[in-house]
Amino acid sequence: MNNKNPLFEHQLLQTRRQFFGNVGLRMGGIAMASMMGPGLAAQAMGSEDPERVHPPLPGLPHFPAKAKSVIYLHMNGGPSQLDTWDYKPNLVKQFEKELPKDFLGDRITTMTSGQAKFPVAPSKYEFKQHGECGRWVSSLLPHTAKIVDDIAVIKTVHTNAINHDPACTFVMTGSEVSGKPSMGSWVSYGLGAETNNLPAFVSLVPNFPAGSNAQALYSRMWGPGFLPGKHSGVVLRAGAEPVLYLDNPPGVDRSDRRAMLDALGKLNAKGFSKFGDPDIQTRIAQYEMAYRMQTSVPELTDLSQETQATKELYGANVDKPGSFTQSALLARRLVERGVRMVQIMHRGWDSHGNLPVELGNQCMDTDQACAGLITDLKQRGMLKDTLVIWGGEFGRTVYSQGKLTRERYGRDHHPRNFCMWMAGGGIKGGVELGETDEYSYNPITDPVHINEINATVLHCLGIDHERFTLRYQGLDQRLTGVEPMKVIKQILA
Amino acid sequence: MLLMTQWNRMQMENQTLTQNCRFQISKSFQKTVRWLVVSGFVGLIFLVLVGDANAFDDSHDAKAETPISYNRDIRPILSENCFACHGTDAGNREADLRLDLSETAVGKEEDGAAIVAGQPDESLIWQRILETDPDVVMPPPESKKKLTDDQKQMLRRWIKQGAEYQKHWAFERPIKSTEAGIDALVAKSLKRDGLSFSPEADRSTLIRRVSMALTGLPPTIEEVDQFLNDQSSGAYEAMVDRYLASPRYGEEMARYWLDVARYGDTHGMHLDNERQTWAYRDWVVSAFNRNLSYDQFTIDQLAGDLRENPTQDQMIATGFNRCNVTTGEGGSIQKEFIFRYAVDRASTTAQAWLGLTAGCAVCHDHKYDPISQKEFYSLYAFFNSNADPAMDGNALLTRPVVKVKPDDYDAKIKEFVEREAALQKSIDEKSATVAYSDPAELEPRPEIQVTTHVWFEDAFPAGAAVNAPGAALVDEPVNSGSKALKVVGAGLAQTFYDKGAQPLTVPDGGRFFMNVFLDPNDPPEEIMVQFLTNSWDQRAIWGADLINWGAQNTSQRFPAGGIPEPGKWVKLEFDASDVGLTAASKVNGFAFTVHGGTAYFDNMGVVGRLDPVTNPTLSLTAWRKAQAGKDTPGAPADIKQWLKEGLDKERKPEEVKCLRDYYVANVCSTTREPFNAMKAELAAIKKQRVDYDNAVPSTFVFKDLPKPRDSFVMIRGEYDAPGEPVMPGTPAVLPALKQTGERANRLDLARWIVAPENPLTSRVAVNRFWQQVFGVGLVNTSHDFGTQGTLPTHPELLDWMAVTFQENGWDVKKLMRLMVTSQTFRQQGNAPPPRWAADPENQQLARGPRFRLDAEQLRDQTLFVSGLMVHDMGGKGVNPYQPPNIWEPIGFGGSNTRFYKRGNGDDLYRRTLYTFFKRTAPHPMLENFDAPPREQSCIRRDRTNTPLQALQLLNDVQHFEAARAFAGRMMASADTPDSRIEFAYRAALSRRPSEEESAIVLDFFHRQQAKYKAAPEEAKKTIQYGESKPPAGVDEVELAAWTLVANLILNLDETIVRN
Repeated sequence: MNNKNPLFEHQLLQTRRQFFGNVGLRMGGIAMASMMGPGLAAQAMGSEDPERVHPPLPGLPHFPAKAKSVIYLHMNGGPSQLDTWDYKPNLVKQFEKELPKDFLGDRITTMTSGQAKFPVAPSKYEFKQHGECGRWVSSLLPHTAKIVDDIAVIKTVHTNAINHDPACTFVMTGSEVSGKPSMGSWVSYGLGAETNNLPAFVSLVPNFPAGSNAQALYSRMWGPGFLPGKHSGVVLRAGAEPVLYLDNPPGVDRSDRRAMLDALGKLNAKGFSKFGDPDIQTRIAQYEMAYRMQTSVPELTDLSQETQATKELYGANVDKPGSFTQSALLARRLVERGVRMVQIMHRGWDSHGNLPVELGNQCMDTDQACAGLITDLKQRGMLKDTLVIWGGEFGRTVYSQGKLTRERYGRDHHPRNFCMWMAGGGIKGGVELGETDEYSYNPITDPVHINEINATVLHCLGIDHERFTLRYQGLDQRLTGVEPMKVIKQILA
Repeated sequence: MLLMTQWNRMQMENQTLTQNCRFQISKSFQKTVRWLVVSGFVGLIFLVLVGDANAFDDSHDAKAETPISYNRDIRPILSENCFACHGTDAGNREADLRLDLSETAVGKEEDGAAIVAGQPDESLIWQRILETDPDVVMPPPESKKKLTDDQKQMLRRWIKQGAEYQKHWAFERPIKSTEAGIDALVAKSLKRDGLSFSPEADRSTLIRRVSMALTGLPPTIEEVDQFLNDQSSGAYEAMVDRYLASPRYGEEMARYWLDVARYGDTHGMHLDNERQTWAYRDWVVSAFNRNLSYDQFTIDQLAGDLRENPTQDQMIATGFNRCNVTTGEGGSIQKEFIFRYAVDRASTTAQAWLGLTAGCAVCHDHKYDPISQKEFYSLYAFFNSNADPAMDGNALLTRPVVKVKPDDYDAKIKEFVEREAALQKSIDEKSATVAYSDPAELEPRPEIQVTTHVWFEDAFPAGAAVNAPGAALVDEPVNSGSKALKVVGAGLAQTFYDKGAQPLTVPDGGRFFMNVFLDPNDPPEEIMVQFLTNSWDQRAIWGADLINWGAQNTSQRFPAGGIPEPGKWVKLEFDASDVGLTAASKVNGFAFTVHGGTAYFDNMGVVGRLDPVTNPTLSLTAWRKAQAGKDTPGAPADIKQWLKEGLDKERKPEEVKCLRDYYVANVCSTTREPFNAMKAELAAIKKQRVDYDNAVPSTFVFKDLPKPRDSFVMIRGEYDAPGEPVMPGTPAVLPALKQTGERANRLDLARWIVAPENPLTSRVAVNRFWQQVFGVGLVNTSHDFGTQGTLPTHPELLDWMAVTFQENGWDVKKLMRLMVTSQTFRQQGNAPPPRWAADPENQQLARGPRFRLDAEQLRDQTLFVSGLMVHDMGGKGVNPYQPPNIWEPIGFGGSNTRFYKRGNGDDLYRRTLYTFFKRTAPHPMLENFDAPPREQSCIRRDRTNTPLQALQLLNDVQHFEAARAFAGRMMASADTPDSRIEFAYRAALSRRPSEEESAIVLDFFHRQQAKYKAAPEEAKKTIQYGESKPPAGVDEVELAAWTLVANLILNLDETIVRN
């Protein structure tokens, strides 16, 4: 600090104090001391208000939150509601019969709109009642069946989009047209996160069963849209380098980095005294955060401290990097460390042709880990403030696409009703909402728009979705779109 | 007020605006700073006003007489809180009350008017604002809107002062202030704020600032020296002009526009396959480099195809409207996507040129701006007749496209054609000299020639590799010669050869013969002969059809007759054509086959029968007969036609001569031989021409269908709910469209956009360029000039520049020059912290611009100072370093951009502008540093500051390899550590380091030097990261240590920032 002007010097200190005292970022003590001198560093570090790397927006949450964090289990491709949660025993008698024309409607994908017939394909799976709530669950989900008393199943979710790209974009951003922020980005923007060592919003993109019909994912599903780029979901990757560019280059070790960051900090501090630009301070802090992430991320992905009992909850693949099973366990570890939102994007649910084989594989790949996650969270007392959501971007048709036998059938996209479940913070367990008609073709009670799901997610986080807006392109943009959307009161605890 | 000129009003607004600003800042100082710093967000600022709760007494207000401006003070309040229900949107208007127009809002007390001018207490809106009853108070609680006390006070004062309305500033034509120049106008506003210009930055800062602003690259040390040593008075301007003249200028300028144009190298939806439209990107670069005026730049992109005789460049420019994302997803409903594309194109056009958020009016009348839903669909109607399909087919090229012919294309093609013509001429000349008489015209008629070729007699042909399990040559029975072949099979038995012998050439009119003797005691059920060409699919069978090879009743399995009588020699015959063989076919082997019995084969061959009169290769007449009614591949078009028309049609003598000459050179077997060499040469040239032509890329262009689609207002913005029909047209709030034809077209629209009377286009453009140069626009919401956008910080300056830009013929380079040579731009970027706190975005312009470099600039700068950069311009996007598994884990299985195939060599070091842009998974360098995914038009990027950015700049192989290369340059530049550090500072920052800085860097160097000396194997690893190789013979320990130093310098805040 060589500035000769005492007033400037004073102001500099003021600003720095304000910076570190109110909004600053906690830094590695060594770097801080080396850069600022011990007195100042202690002053900054000793602030009574431990500072946050990911602070919330002022005024948020709007009201006390039930959930602190969110785990969104996205089943990409459109899981069949008819073969999982929406039990239609009478359809067995309708096998191969034509779906009545007045049900069909005219918004059908061009994959089946040319079919001469729309024959009813009853589910081949056996449904049984489970839990104290007596929920009907298909034999494809034996593990999830055991946690039905903890989850709320919504059978009448509907969306506007009938194709994957717009539908995925819709379910994750509240709009079919690309360009809007993802749910996780909104949540990060509004609430920040509790962690100082990890990103606020993390996405996991696990692998999926071979032979499944996997659709594409899009970075807009965790992208920030028009929100600042730092609210983008950070993709946690399977394997050696879980976060992009996390590892030092060959021949460079941690002590080299420390030495470099010390030099960098000193030089940048000089830059700050020259320019006065507060962004320089932020940059110093972000480099320190990067340094911390180089240990916090490997610690996060190191599962050696997990007990065998915990691992067994999730299933056999838990030690396989990139598996859905391991991703589910990582999701718990992430929220445990204060990450606000975790998204697991599991692909392969697009069963047009041979549904029983494909859907069977998909459920095998995910069922135990989903149930394991809920159980694990519950055992640790975390379920009460972690919100878990399970679901795809749409459902599937009751009529068969392609060849139909009792054992083999396919189903096309069906946006009019599909099933999702929610559990944990703010959600009442053992609940079921919404009834569909005899063909599972339209909701007959309690239709729930996907943006009402989104409104409910925000509600559980203590956010009034109508007041959580950002003016962009002349509009008060929000996660739940422009149409009025209600929070789903019926499933709230 | 009514008599006030706009000029006066503007001055007054300016004055009170700054006062107001200061007031707000003092109240909300900490909060604003905190919020901005925390979020790192340079976007919208919400200032929270905290006022005195009981201050609605007019006399109490010391500033009661300060004139309130509707545009500045009142419209934002009404817009935010009232217009959603009492504004432009007729469909959602409550109580039939419109507060956005004076005519509908202001009236007399006795009429129960919402506003009674001069009398707040009599005005209904005031009464409703003060209400406490939740059912009556405005805004209603369910709207979640709430007026602050200061806002209430403001409204009250406005009503008291007469409730004057003003048209929204951006819809009025800009008026050029009498005070000229950027600096005069900035100085004026600074003075009003009690501020003054900061001193000019030092020269090395300035040259780096200018070079970065105009070319996106730092200056070279030589350029810095040239500038520092230039003592002439015009040194600065000369330096600016050098950068304006650099081809790097167009590349830098293009990248901002490509954000606006939402340019990408993939379709953007579902499969997200590659799309070939990079010629549009290159057109943008070239348009800036040749300084195409902004009005022509506009017209070419929006309507180049509708210009009279559009040039290739003008067609390529229309690619702007093909840059939107498209789908090829099976199952999509076509009408829905045709609708969406037109919505996107209309919204993007309005946004890019007019700064209007017209997209709001897709579903309903715009709630804030005077754009009705019908007006939106009138704009949409310009784009709704697109010739491109709803489904992109996931194809590289989705029509309409044009070939992107290089400059020398026509000359090259001409050269090929001329060479072909010359050769053809020689052929023609030569053929005219060849004597030929048509056998069909000869008297007496030439005889039929018969040839016999015996293929099997006593033995297989010489050299044949025979495969004859269970077969034998026997003496008895024999048909001719001394031996016959005995073939025995309980089931299927076969004797054959497939190589070794000279092939048999099938003669004209070929008819095969073969003698067989079936054992009467063991007669086969079926016998077969089979010929080998490329395949064995030439078979003739006799007897039961038991051998299940080839398609039944075709030449693959020709039924030549019943099983011959056993116990005697029988001669079997069939035509070559029966088994699919034609004259001149080469046969490379044959097989004798029996099924279930014993047979003897002897004397097999083929008889040729050549009739010169009927043979097309000998008789011109026969040839013409044979080709009548058929297509003759390879012949010139006229000859083809004449042949097709047959002999009956009368031909002129010269036409007959042409036919004859062609025949002689190409068809006639007795004359064509000497032409072969010339014809081969001709074919080779043709192939070269076709290959050249096919290698010329194509690019997407925009065109209309021949017959326009009808357009309608789409109710609630739904693609399948057409309402009232609409014609192409523009919003009524803006000057009238001049249409040239019965139906307005895009050319009319484009001309209307750049018409001098259009108040928006020029302002929006200069503001965007200003934002590029200064980091933030004079209108902060550079994408929104509507009533919801922010007001200009310097309205006079914005207007002065807007008018000047037009007066200068929309000359972009001139505008850029004007900005970067201004004193405003040349100020130093440092300021004491309170100034940063008071004006974090530098909207007051009391210091020079200082902000983080964009993604592309960061990577390019690193490559540039390292010496690795490859400056090749244009062409298909390249794939530089990218970590594995960016594309793969998310891509669709069938997508051709699922797997990232990294390029090699030069591809790794091109400017980032040329990095292949996959829209559903952009390169992490771009994503990490706030580049938009180019799915939608983006007018302004954020500038965030994250740890992931730090990790990338520190560890990415692209950056670390460049650090090594930079270290190599440092070592080559000087011998002492101090000089090397100085070189590094000068290369990266255009300045010398201070002693202290040098000492810090040197300390770090010594630490690394010691480390690598102790662990040379680590040094080796350090310097070998990346594809390029370290210089031979270099001291590895030294190079590794300097690499870390380079890595440090490339990560300095000052390096990452434009200072």
